[in-house]
Parts: sequence; structure tokens; C-alpha cells
Amino acid sequence: MTEAGPPQSVSLTIDGTPVTVPAGTLVVEAAKTVDTDVPVYCYHPKLGPAGLCRICLVEIERLPKLQIACNTPVAEGMVVHTHGQKVEDGRRAVMEFLLLNHPLDCPICDKGGECDLQDFSMAYGQGASRLADAKASKPKALDLGPTIVLDDERCIVCQRCTRFDDIITRERSLVVKDRGQRDVIATASGEPYRSNFSGNVTELCPVGALTSKTYRFKSRPWDNHRTATTCTQCSVGCQLFVDERYGTIARTMSVPSDDAISDGWLCDRGRYNIGFYADARRITAPLLRRGEQYVQIGWDDAVEAWAAGLRDALGAAGPQAVGVLGGGRLLNEEIVLLVALMQELGVTNLDWRAGRQRQATPGRYAGTYAELEAAQLILAVGRPPSQTAPVLDLRIRKAVSQRGARYVTYGGHAAGSFVGVTPLRSADDVENVLSGVERVAVVWDGIDLELGARLASAIDGWVARGVSVTTYLSGEANNARGAEALGMVPRSGGLPFTGMLDAAQNGRLRSLSIFGANPVLHHPLGGASVANALERIPFLVVSELFLTETAQRAHLILPARTGFEKAGHVINLAGDVLPVHQAHAAPPGTLADGDMLVALAAELAAEVPGPEDVLARATAALPAATHGFGDAAYSEGVTASKSDGMAAGKPGGGGLRIAVGSDIFAGGGTIWFDETLAELRPDPAATLSPATAARLDVHIGDRLDLLSSSGDDSLQGLVVRIDAGAPDDVVAVIDGLPEAPANSFADGDNVVLGARRAADALEPALVLP
Amino acid sequence: MPVVNVLTDGIGEVNLRDIDVYRNRGGYAQWQRALTELQPENIAQMTSDSGLRGRGGAGFPTGRKWSFLPKNGRPRYLVCNCDEAEPGTFKDHMLLLETPHQVLEGILLGAYAIGSHHAFMYIRGEFEQGYRVFMEALAQARAAGFVGQNVFGTDYGIEVTVHRGAGAYICGEETALLNSLEGKRGEPRLKPPFPAVKGLYGEPTVVNNVETLATLPHILKNGPQWFASVGPPRSPGFKIVSVSGHVRRPGNYEVPLGTPLRELLEIAGGPREGRTIVAVQPGGGSSACLFAEDLDLPYDFDTMAQHGTMLGSGAIVFFDETTNFVEAALALVRFFAHESCGQCTPCREGGHWLEVTLNRILSGGGLDSDIDLLLSVSHQLTGINLCPLGDSIEPFLASVVRRFEPQFRGYVRRPESILVSA
Ligand SMILES: Cc1cc2nc3c(=O)[nH]c(=O)nc-3n(C[C@H](O)[C@H](O)[C@H](O)COP(=O)(O)O)c2cc1C
Ligand code: SF4
Ligand code: SF4
Ligand code: SF4
Ligand code: FES
Repeated sequence: MTEAGPPQSVSLTIDGTPVTVPAGTLVVEAAKTVDTDVPVYCYHPKLGPAGLCRICLVEIERLPKLQIACNTPVAEGMVVHTHGQKVEDGRRAVMEFLLLNHPLDCPICDKGGECDLQDFSMAYGQGASRLADAKASKPKALDLGPTIVLDDERCIVCQRCTRFDDIITRERSLVVKDRGQRDVIATASGEPYRSNFSGNVTELCPVGALTSKTYRFKSRPWDNHRTATTCTQCSVGCQLFVDERYGTIARTMSVPSDDAISDGWLCDRGRYNIGFYADARRITAPLLRRGEQYVQIGWDDAVEAWAAGLRDALGAAGPQAVGVLGGGRLLNEEIVLLVALMQELGVTNLDWRAGRQRQATPGRYAGTYAELEAAQLILAVGRPPSQTAPVLDLRIRKAVSQRGARYVTYGGHAAGSFVGVTPLRSADDVENVLSGVERVAVVWDGIDLELGARLASAIDGWVARGVSVTTYLSGEANNARGAEALGMVPRSGGLPFTGMLDAAQNGRLRSLSIFGANPVLHHPLGGASVANALERIPFLVVSELFLTETAQRAHLILPARTGFEKAGHVINLAGDVLPVHQAHAAPPGTLADGDMLVALAAELAAEVPGPEDVLARATAALPAATHGFGDAAYSEGVTASKSDGMAAGKPGGGGLRIAVGSDIFAGGGTIWFDETLAELRPDPAATLSPATAARLDVHIGDRLDLLSSSGDDSLQGLVVRIDAGAPDDVVAVIDGLPEAPANSFADGDNVVLGARRAADALEPALVLP
Repeated sequence: MPVVNVLTDGIGEVNLRDIDVYRNRGGYAQWQRALTELQPENIAQMTSDSGLRGRGGAGFPTGRKWSFLPKNGRPRYLVCNCDEAEPGTFKDHMLLLETPHQVLEGILLGAYAIGSHHAFMYIRGEFEQGYRVFMEALAQARAAGFVGQNVFGTDYGIEVTVHRGAGAYICGEETALLNSLEGKRGEPRLKPPFPAVKGLYGEPTVVNNVETLATLPHILKNGPQWFASVGPPRSPGFKIVSVSGHVRRPGNYEVPLGTPLRELLEIAGGPREGRTIVAVQPGGGSSACLFAEDLDLPYDFDTMAQHGTMLGSGAIVFFDETTNFVEAALALVRFFAHESCGQCTPCREGGHWLEVTLNRILSGGGLDSDIDLLLSVSHQLTGINLCPLGDSIEPFLASVVRRFEPQFRGYVRRPESILVSA
């Protein structure tokens, strides 16, 4: 790419006001600098001009015909009129055509009150219709897929939805089918519209044609109470609006101006995973184990029991016998309180690492999202961002499709990015693609520390050669970076969580408090070992929303709050300290973890910092890091991440190796307890290459079991999928599914095929005529 | 009689599909001469000097169009537009079927002239036989070494890719054609950027009509002055007109531009027995009608434009006094509404509205206000669309509503007495 010089500016007149804007600016954008608004439907700043709706007509002196402001670049001396008889006539004509066959749905339309068609009709529409015939009648509720419904009568064919699916996600499944008056939005394949970003099309749709199944007919804009906050579903930290209607969360919306983080988009996990807040299975009172059962107790009793349990443990065996796990899902303020309280008690066994991710800080080359977008080469190592940091992946797609970047992966996982990807198999491959590249962005999943360390030394080499490198760590918990930065790590001589489990096995850990973490489902030592160790702890406290696999083992369960129910700060993967505002009242009986900790401290008569001190520490700028990926400081002494990565892995030897990947809709918490999203949760699947499936003689839809080579662990009833792009001799499964937890398996492990059932034996209905 | 035989020479007499027959009559001689004696610039200059204007509909000077290609070292493409679907136009189909080698030679010359090494032939989906004929001609030319690498021993190489449309009039519009060629939905592109700058696969591209390109060998052979000296100065040369409607011998006729319409009527056998021509649509379905008093106008680009209509692709439809202009209007409106790609609001909605209204008028449900509605709606949908198709409805509809208003009014009141001639 050649360096562009400083942008030339152009002077023109809009409605009599002289303006100067950079050359190449579109008239529609230039008009925003004077106080005039040119109406648009198909134009969108992020999608660019399309010139379809024709509502943005303006008059440009010396041009005989009206011009569309959305595709006319400014020119020196241009004189633009956005009003006047000619313009009004043109717009009135377009409005008349738009409304001609548009149904009179406003009173029942979800968009009513925030609809551009409704708004511009007030400005340019005529009172009565000149249509003497019946309006065209079209399907009112076409099911486009698991998330979206199309009202074809309302569609004005602006193609914003299809262009989003083309330009932004690159998935290209949405198309305009048929032509003229008969055209309709559909998928090219005829299959349901499935995308991890589908909800954005409902926002882009300027009318009420595309609606979310979760919001359809649920509310009207004027009944919604809106709060801006940060999404806490993953570590990207997208800004979003929460719209609450009389105490229930109606929907979430993107923040279009959030260029720095979300680029104006949301993923469907962040957008739609709101059904769990009001799920009947929420725990709404502290639960104390009595034999085989739990009894509900009051908060005073709960805090007393908690304090007593801690005091017993401390008294009997000292602070070494006490541990704390969690923080990746807490707010900074809560982490500060938790760490301070434990320090006060002398407890050093602290860790946030309840899953596979071992490290959260990308280190000394940490970059911004803008730098990632500007990279010439993007290297993803380990699990790809498409499933761990969805909206970040949109930036990768943008860098590749709009800015000419190259995308390469290392680690044997499918990239899932819908742009050209080169999977690399060796360190030499990586060095080869780097030749001639000046700006590199590296995204690592933080799982395999040893791989991270090799990566770090390679990166140091590139930097020494003058390559500009920025690094990113896309992990599992949304505030892992906050937890790590604010001290939820083993203190001097303290144990990491794997060490705590070891101590528990040996009867040396007498009390463990877990905050918002589910190691039984996620920790790489495997559900059975983790559960076994937890069950040996005399006093296990779990702060949770639901009765998860881990909570079920607790002696005391504390009903927590999350996401939109509390206020504070988090740190996203790019290191931005972001505010979380309370947007929704939590169910009575629950408490924010921070409030639990304040009560516990009071009960223990322990000194903790006051609110101002907490806030100051929670929002302090992150100190500059000196280390890199895979630093020895994160090593646990005990091996929790067995993986050496698929890429560098052992030869298949005729056997089968496993790749354990992420899915944005996997998990045992907010997603598992959200019935509105049941259709989006992935089936436990085993994905194979066609050749491997043929070799094993399995077919799409068959069910099979996988056994670890020791035979100790198994995954049962996996549904066979076949993916032409999958590597041979590898079976890909999804992590974090309560029906088939794969956490005891690591990338590259050898596995053997267990029992299997043919598809038609299972579902005879499928073969009936 | 001003009928000439330039592009049509030999048609109906010999089998021009046979490469040997074509060569014996001088075929591919200009291609050989171009590669061995002429530089691309020479051909471009000759084309400019000839004054040749595009035969696809817009009448844009061909040499000028080529000159817009940026000299940026990028690959560039020539695309031959054989999507011919303009109502009343059937000349390209004839050239394709009867003289495919002449078309191919034109494509090769055009490609060489613009410095392209890859030409594309886009053939209307319905031209099944024409496609096979052209493929056979291409195979013969390839076997003879006229297409491929090192043509005539030079270091020039050229590939020709043939693509079939899937049955949409809009794919004749050059940018929709490019989308269709790329495998995308056949809908016009937003301009700018223009194809000359960013066309097929994002590279500089020229789209030319079949007849335009087939004219090139003749300009090379006889010199630009020969071509420029025929017809009016700003509409020089010969043109194949497709004459149809109420004439005795509808068909393709090759004539010098500037020939009066009345003479063209005579060439096509004149009106049917005892009938009088009351209107003529001179330039395809998108053109406005002229009337009996206009028949002495010379048929050329500028005269037609000065009289509020156009020469277009050279499709001339004569109407005599038996015409039901309400039905004629509906036929054309239905065509354009059906063929609208649907991108633009006015074209998509306006065409449909007019079709519904005309249908209602014809089935006896017309209202007095419908006459004004037809004029008003067709007018307000014009001039604000992305491509010219949206502007194609008003000219014919408005011209016949104004001229034959009693017919339309007759429908509104008394469906039985409608054939009131103007
Ligand atoms: C709706 C529409 C349909 C068209 N169909 C054709 C066609 O079938 N054949 C053609 O040559 N040009 C057609 N054109 C014109 C082309 O866009 C283009 O101007 C032409 O191919 C250029 O060739 P020329 O310069 O040799 O005339 C059409 C234009 C429009 C707007
Ligand atoms: S569904 Fe909505 S966004 Fe898509 S084309 Fe129709 S109006 Fe536009
Ligand atoms: S990418 Fe992450 S932060 Fe953004 S909306 Fe999705 S889950 Fe929320
Ligand atoms: S004018 Fe009609 S045919 Fe042309 S682009 Fe617009 S909708 Fe499509
Ligand atoms: S906003 Fe300009 S044409 Fe739609």
C-alpha cells in the first residue's frame, strides 16, 4: 500500500452555508456538518452507498437531474440544495412509492416509534393514498432462521440486511430472491439464516420487516427504559444499550458510535442471552446443605455460616487451608474487595483460572482493536476468535476483506471466519508468511502456556527485526484481565487452583469459596477429578446464579447477581477499563458479590477499603506489562493444560486425535439456563473430515462415543458432522457442553471410537416418506 | 432503395457459419492485418474517426468510450453484449445466428484495440441455437489459430469466454451484465465507478454491442472516411433496423442512417392493405411514439432526440389505426414492471402500480382520474432511478395517453367503443 498524503479538502455550499470537508466525502455526510438532515434508508455509514431507495435526492446546481446524496462525492465549488420545490417533489414521489404497498401496521409494528419510514412519512408523505387498488399482499411472518422473522409486506428492499451479511460478516447467506415487486429476502441456499451476528440486521432494517424472535411484539420503544452499559458475556467488552420494559429486559441494542470496541455491532450471544435473568431456576435465597438436601436460609444466617466456616478453617489449619477461586466474572470493584479481604485474612491461595485459560494479560505488545484492524497479517494461535471473541472476529474479517490483510491460524482449529484463512502447520510456515510484512497482530487463546512461550520468543525475534507486533489474548471469562491485573492470582507462596485441588485431595484444603466459576464443567483436569477433589473440602462455598455442576457440590450456595444487575467496572481484552451500569433490578433475595463481601468482612470484623478507595483501584490505569505470552509467572507447577497444540502434535499413526474447540453458545451457565435460546445451543457434535468419516465408516447424523486412550474418560452420544475443510484424522468436539463435557480432553489427545448408532436406527422418522 | 449489404452481406445466400466461406469472402483478413500491421492505437483512432456510435441503445461514440480506459497497467476486458431483449429488437440475434465469425472478428478487433487479452461474450439465455452456433464458430477460429496464444505468429494472445444469461432483460444493462458475468445477482451497479474504471472483476472494462463490434472489420477494411461519409455527420454509417408491427414484411433491414421513416416503412412492405399508420415507436420499448405527421423525419440519433424520442437499438414498431393503445401500453408497462430488478423504489413500485391500474382500466374498472394518474405516476417515477430501465415506462405510455386519450377515456366510460383513431 502506498502512504496516502494528507487528505485534500474541498469547499462547497450546502443550503447556502459554505463547508469544507475532506475530498471524497459523500454529500450525505457533508450535509451532517451543516444543520440539515438528508433522509436515507439504504445508505448506512458502515455499509456505504447502495443507491436503491432514492429518498436522499438533492439538487446540485448545474446538474439537470436530482442526484442521490449518498453516492455523490463532494466537488470543489459544488452548490447543493437539500430543500426546495424540486427536491420536495422528488422525495414526495419516492415516499409515495415506498408507502404504496406498505401495510398500515404502525400500531402493531415493533418498529413503530423508531421507524425511519414512519418518521419521513410525517415530513414528506401525503395524507391520502392515490392507490385505487388493493395493496400487494405478502407473507407476514416468514421464519428466516432461529432468531429472525421477516414481514415481507414491510420490507422496502433497502438491502441493508443482505449487505451486512455480505460486507460486514462475509457470510453471504442472505440474498434478495426474485425481482421487481416479487422480490423477497431469503437465504441463497434455502436453509435457515444462521449467523452469530444475525441480530444486527434487525437494527439495520430501517422498517419493521426484520424482527427478533425474542423481542417481537414484546414492547414499544416509548415504553422502554434505556441504559447504556458494557456487555459482560465475553472479553471483547462491547458497549450496548439495555431496554427494560416495566421491570423486564425487553432487548439489547448496539451503540452505533462505539467505533473503538464493537465497531457498532453485537454478537448474538451478547445480544440475545438475556432470558436467564428471569429464569425460574435462578437461586434467590442462600442455600445451606443439610445432609442430602439444601435448606433456604436468610442472608444474615448465610454470612454468619460463611464467616464461621472460614474461621474454623483458619483456626484449625491456618490460611494455607483456605482458598478462593474466581474473579473472571466479577466486577473490578468486587475483585478489589475480595483480594483485600483475603490479604487481611492472610489467605494466599487465590486464583481466577477455573477453566483452560491460564493467562489473561497479553503483555508488553498489547494492542488496540484499531491496531488489529490495521495489521497486514493476523495470526490466531489456538482457539480462533470467531468463537471466543465474536465481535473481534468481525474486525478480522474487515481487515481481510476491506484492508487487504492476510489471516493465518496455527493450532488446528477451524477459523470460522468466512474470509480466506491459511492454516499453518509449523513454525517455519509462520516465519514464511511473515516475510515482507510490517504490521502483525497475534491473537492467542491463553490456554497452552508452553506454546505461548514459544510464540513469545518468536514475537521477540520479529520485533527485533523491526516488525511492528501487537498482541491480543482472547480468553474465556469476560473480566479475566481484570481478575489477573487486580490480584486474583496466587500470592507469595500461595497455591494456584490446580494446587488447591491437589491439597483438597490430600485433605489439606479445608475451605474454598468460588465466585461465578464452574470448574467441574470447564477445568482441564476433568469433571470427575475436580468434583472428587471439591467433595473432599469440608466447607465449600459457591456464589452462583444457578445450581451448576459446581454449585451442586457446595455446602453453602450464595445467590448472586450478574451482568445488567450490578454496577462497576471491567477490563476487556484490549485493556480498556469499561463502566458497567445497572440496567435491571435483580430478583429479590440475590446479592451482588461485592455486597456479600462487605457483609462477610463486617461479620469477620476484617478491615477492607472503603468505596472511594475501591473505585480508585478498580479504575486505575493498567500498569505497563513487561512480560509476554506464556510467561513462566503463569506456570502452576501442576500441569493443567496438557495440550501441545494440534499443529505441532504427534503423528496420527492411523489413530484419531481430538480438537476441543469453543462455541459462542456453549456453556453451563447463562446460556444453559436461557430457554429462549435453546435452538442456538450447539448439539454435542463430533466433526470429521470426509476421508476420516469414510475410514471410520460413520455417516452424518450417526451417534458415537469417544474414549480417551486410557479409557478413563468418555464423551457419549456425539452427533456426527462432516466438514470438507476439517483436517484428516482429527475429531473436533465442543468444550463446555453440560450434556457432553469435554474438559478432560485436550487438543491433540489420542482418542478411540466407542459405541456407535446409525442415524436411521435412532430416528426412524427421518427415513419415512 | 437505400437497403445496403455491409454487415448483412451474404446472409441468406451462403453459409457464413463456415469459417472457410467467411474467409473466402475476406473474413479475418482485417484481424490478420490488425495484428501484423496495425497498433491498437491505430484501430482506436480509425474507430474514432469513423464516428461510429454504439448500436446497443445509448448511441455513445465507440471511440470515445474506449478512450476512458485508464492507462494503469491493469488487465482490461472487452465484453460483447449479446443479451438483446429490448422489445422489438432482433438484429443481434440474426448476426449471431447467420454470421458468427463476423461477430467474433469484431470482438477480437475491439479487444486488441483496447489492449485486452480476454474478451467475454454474454449471450442471452434464450438464444440456445445462437449459443451453439457461436461456440462452433469459436472452435473453428481457435483451430485456425485466430484465438489463443501467438496469433498470426505475433506475441499477442487472446482468450474469449462465452457466458449465457439466465433470462433477464436487465442483464443487458452493462453493469447488471457484469454482475451476472461475475456470478452475482443481475442488477445494475451504482455509478460511479463506471465500468471503464472499475468493471468486470474490478478491472477497466468496455461493454459493446454485437452490431457495434461487427461493424469494426468493415471500418478497417474500407477506412473511416468511407463510414463517416454515409448519413448525417453526427450519425454516420449503416445500421440494421428491426422493423415490426403493422407492416407487410417485418424484418431486419440494413440502411444508411438518415433514411426517412416513411422510406423504412416502404422497405418493410408498407402498411397492411387499406390501413394507415398512426404511430411509430422508433427506438425500442423505451422510446416515445412519433405519429403520422412525423414519418418524413430522417432516422438518425439526433433527429430522434430532437423530437423527444430516441433511435435506441434501432427497433421500429409501426402502429396502424386498428391498434388498441391501452393494450399496447399495458403490454409494455407489464414488460418493464416484470423486468425491473426491483432495486430502486420508483421503478419497482411505480411500474407495478401502472400495471395494476392499466389492468383495472382494461377490465372495466377505470376511473376518470386514472388518465391523470397514468401521466402523473409515470412522470414521477422517471429520472430518479439507478439505471435507465426505470425511465423506460414514461415515454411510450405518456405519448400514447396524450395522443390517443379518447381510447383511454373510452375504456373508462364505454368499454365497447374504443377504437377512436386520433
Ligand atoms: C435496461 C437496459 C437493457 C439493455 N439491453 C441491452 C442489450 O440487450 N444489448 C445491448 O447491446 N445493450 C443493451 N443495453 C445498453 C447497454 O447498457 C450498453 O449501453 C451497451 O451494451 C453498450 O454498447 P454500445 O456502446 O456498443 O452500444 C441496455 C441498457 C439498459 C438500460
Ligand atoms: S428486510 Fe429490512 S433491511 Fe432487509 S431489505 Fe427489507 S427493509 Fe431492508
Ligand atoms: S462479542 Fe462479547 S462483548 Fe461483544 S456482544 Fe458478543 S459477547 Fe458481548
Ligand atoms: S431502475 Fe429499475 S431495473 Fe434499473 S436498477 Fe432500478 S429497479 Fe433495477
Ligand atoms: S439513501 Fe441514497 S439512495 Fe438510498
